[in-house]
Amino acid sequence: MRGLIRSFVTTGATFLRKPVTREYPETHRELPERDRAFPLLLWDQQIDEPFCTGCHACERACPVECMTVLMKDNPNHTSQGGTSSRRKIIDKFWIDYGRCMRCNICVEVCNFDAIGMNNTWSGHESSAVDRLDLVMDLQQLLSQSRAGAVKPWIAP
Amino acid sequence: MTSILLPASHEFETQDIFVNMGPQHPSTHGVFRMVLEIDGEVVRDVLPYIGYLHRGAEKLCETMDYRQGIGFMDRTEYLAAFNAELSYVMAVEALAGIDVPERAQWIRMILCELNRLSSHFMFLGAFGVDVGVLGTSFTYAFRERENIFDLFEEICGDRMMYAYFRVGGLAWEVTDNFVTRVNQVLGMARQGIADLDGLLTQNEIFQARTRGIGHIPAADAIDWGMSGPSLRASGVALDVRRDEPYLFYPQVKFDVITGTNGDVYDRYLCRLREMHESIKIVEQCLQNLQPGPIVPERMSRLLRTPPGEVYIRTEAPRGEYGVYMVSNGGNRPWRCKVRSACLSNLQALRDMTVGHYVSDAVLILGSIDIVLSEVDR
Amino acid sequence: MTTAEFLGIEMPVLLEAFIKVNIVVLAMTVVVMGLIYGERKIIGRFQMRMGPTRTGPFGILQSIADAIKLVGKEDLRPRGADPWIFELSIYFIFVPVFVGFVVVPFAIGWEIRALELGLLYLLATSSVSGLGFAFAGWASDNRYAMLGGLRAVAQGVAYEIPLVVTLLAVAMLSSSLNLGEIMAGQASVPNIVWQPLGFIMFYIAMLAELNRAPFDIAVGESETAGGPHIEFSGIRWSMFQLAEYAHLWIMSIVGSAIFLGGSAWPFGEELGTGYQLLLMGVKSAILIFIAMWTRASMPRLRIDQLMGFAWKVLMPLAFAQVLINGFVIVYDLPLVLLTVQGVAGIALLNWAIQRAVARPAGRPGMAAWAGTSEAATS
Repeated sequence: MRGLIRSFVTTGATFLRKPVTREYPETHRELPERDRAFPLLLWDQQIDEPFCTGCHACERACPVECMTVLMKDNPNHTSQGGTSSRRKIIDKFWIDYGRCMRCNICVEVCNFDAIGMNNTWSGHESSAVDRLDLVMDLQQLLSQSRAGAVKPWIAP
Repeated sequence: MTSILLPASHEFETQDIFVNMGPQHPSTHGVFRMVLEIDGEVVRDVLPYIGYLHRGAEKLCETMDYRQGIGFMDRTEYLAAFNAELSYVMAVEALAGIDVPERAQWIRMILCELNRLSSHFMFLGAFGVDVGVLGTSFTYAFRERENIFDLFEEICGDRMMYAYFRVGGLAWEVTDNFVTRVNQVLGMARQGIADLDGLLTQNEIFQARTRGIGHIPAADAIDWGMSGPSLRASGVALDVRRDEPYLFYPQVKFDVITGTNGDVYDRYLCRLREMHESIKIVEQCLQNLQPGPIVPERMSRLLRTPPGEVYIRTEAPRGEYGVYMVSNGGNRPWRCKVRSACLSNLQALRDMTVGHYVSDAVLILGSIDIVLSEVDR
Repeated sequence: MTTAEFLGIEMPVLLEAFIKVNIVVLAMTVVVMGLIYGERKIIGRFQMRMGPTRTGPFGILQSIADAIKLVGKEDLRPRGADPWIFELSIYFIFVPVFVGFVVVPFAIGWEIRALELGLLYLLATSSVSGLGFAFAGWASDNRYAMLGGLRAVAQGVAYEIPLVVTLLAVAMLSSSLNLGEIMAGQASVPNIVWQPLGFIMFYIAMLAELNRAPFDIAVGESETAGGPHIEFSGIRWSMFQLAEYAHLWIMSIVGSAIFLGGSAWPFGEELGTGYQLLLMGVKSAILIFIAMWTRASMPRLRIDQLMGFAWKVLMPLAFAQVLINGFVIVYDLPLVLLTVQGVAGIALLNWAIQRAVARPAGRPGMAAWAGTSEAATS
């Protein structure tokens, strides 16, 4: 009966300890800086345009082929009388969050630091009723960074 | 007395019944299905069905370059993803002849051992539920597992699918407070092990349920190709970390835990004791950790391997996780075969189960500690 | 006290009984809801969780929310099920439990009907519910349900006997089968002092009767995935729950009335009915809390160990207890002997458990099929 009593003592000791539960929707755990949710495009606040030039590097490196990228000539380029040094710029960009496996490879291959993994709770809480709602277009991908809500961590 | 009811010559005809356990059953640990032929409460035969979780990870790896394949290796063994990644990147490194910097190797060791801890916690928790402790062991185990995952998340950004090892080293440097955090997590893990130990090990009901159940002799276990704690419980001291060392395992001191009886209780005890060994290894690694580079200085951005083939095996929490890789000179493997310990260990299920009660079938399956994603890949 | 005395009016017997039964059933429903909520909270704390927190403050409305959800669910019956037996089975489970409330003494004189053979009546009615499990398991057309149902019956039959015999031993001491009298007879010393072994055996047998951990093999989630309950949904399933917890409540009240002095000890007679109700509430709550604690910490037994424990350990000890009680009463020996014997019996029980653990059973199937082709494979 010694072992039985030992079990009782163990559970009794945990009964007196504080519960470890985090009540999730009310209290969010603070996410570490390096947290990886889903990829986002970043916004160049100085020139007021995306960093992304649509170079297809991430699209080619993506293991699950969840990205679709189209580029265009930058209307804001200095040769056009604008302020930007980017000759080409992103025109359309889709990421299918339903396919993405959050491997961080797109961030690593990007030469312009134009894509980053969302490290806020908004990236984790992105459930949708329809799968098609998980396909994000350029506006959706840029909006958080444009509003300054996200500062992704990009590996040095 | 029976003559009143039945003629003397008449024998009561009984029939074995078939019980289909799984793929949706609370204790088949995933989408595993076994058809039990039972005579009353006693199992007469077991027919396991696997393949419900087959995703073709091996085939997919052939279409991916070496870096892209790492993410798929995570998903072949989601409870110990670091160990799975390790076999894969080591296979590529062996093919390409890359030397990994020391610091990267020590960090790999630490992370793999921590992952072994978290995986064994998962086993202890789930095994407790199989024996019937109503989730108490599960919550104890998950409490500690979450702590370990918190640490992993701080280092590599994800809790389960790390994609952190790279061919040649690591994806990026660990956090600045890595050492203190690891020590903190180890302290909490010790508490968790003590709790689980107190809850289960000496409990008479637990012992009555697990001792003498699912016995497999050492010779049979070797014949079935079992490995890892399931084999060591039968008394065979086979540990890839010691017998075929990789990383810096020769430089750390640890014991290879073996059992004597090869029953469910020994398999449980082996894992429990192995967790203490893992903690010992991590502590020694932390002492040896020196600043330095984490990727080789000269790494081409586009990795190509010379033609050849290689088989690398490592000691994952469930046994020998091997990667057999053939390259024909391109930037992607021509063939990448995963030797999964779970699949081999599962082969012995019938030998272990036949003749035991239905309740024990659940325990025996639990004691092999299978991960269905690794079995089916 | 009768209701007529309580309210100060005369009324027909049937009306009086009707009122009492209604009060008890209402109280039972409320208590069962509280028990379900309490169990979830308490087991949550044992597991370092918080239990229900969403519905109302501290999740206090959880049981009501559950009840509403269960009532709103579709009432399913498998196509292959035997309709009559399937639907009757739940009545066989919860009616006996309800009927048992007739003799339960909530305080001195507070029972619906103080039967002279109250203890016997209670045990007789509560053992009927095993039939309900067999019906439910058989009629569900599900093999897990059948396994669970048969296990429940085997277990119920096996543990009925030690339960009855231990209670009989106590009844010998009190020389009554009337629950109220047994309780009132303990005004100075509760029976647990004379019958420590009896109390432990009663508690074990009670847990087994209630299909609670560690004897919940019939409904064992990890093996039979719910056993007889597996095909029941909605309101029918909630009846299972209701019966289970009501039964737990009855048994804990009976246990505290018989062994712990009920509402008679200490100072029950002197301090009035309110105090007696409180006393009974606290004592039964302690027994229920221990049952929940057991559920959170004990693994489940296997069917052969369960049966072996009942027939080989509990039964001889229970009969020996009866025999020794008889000696002590007939020869008018001092009752302290019983305490000594009880402690010795607990040591014996411990020894029996250790011995069973030290000898693992091996493979039961192998002996039976020695020489057959199946056995040859391993």
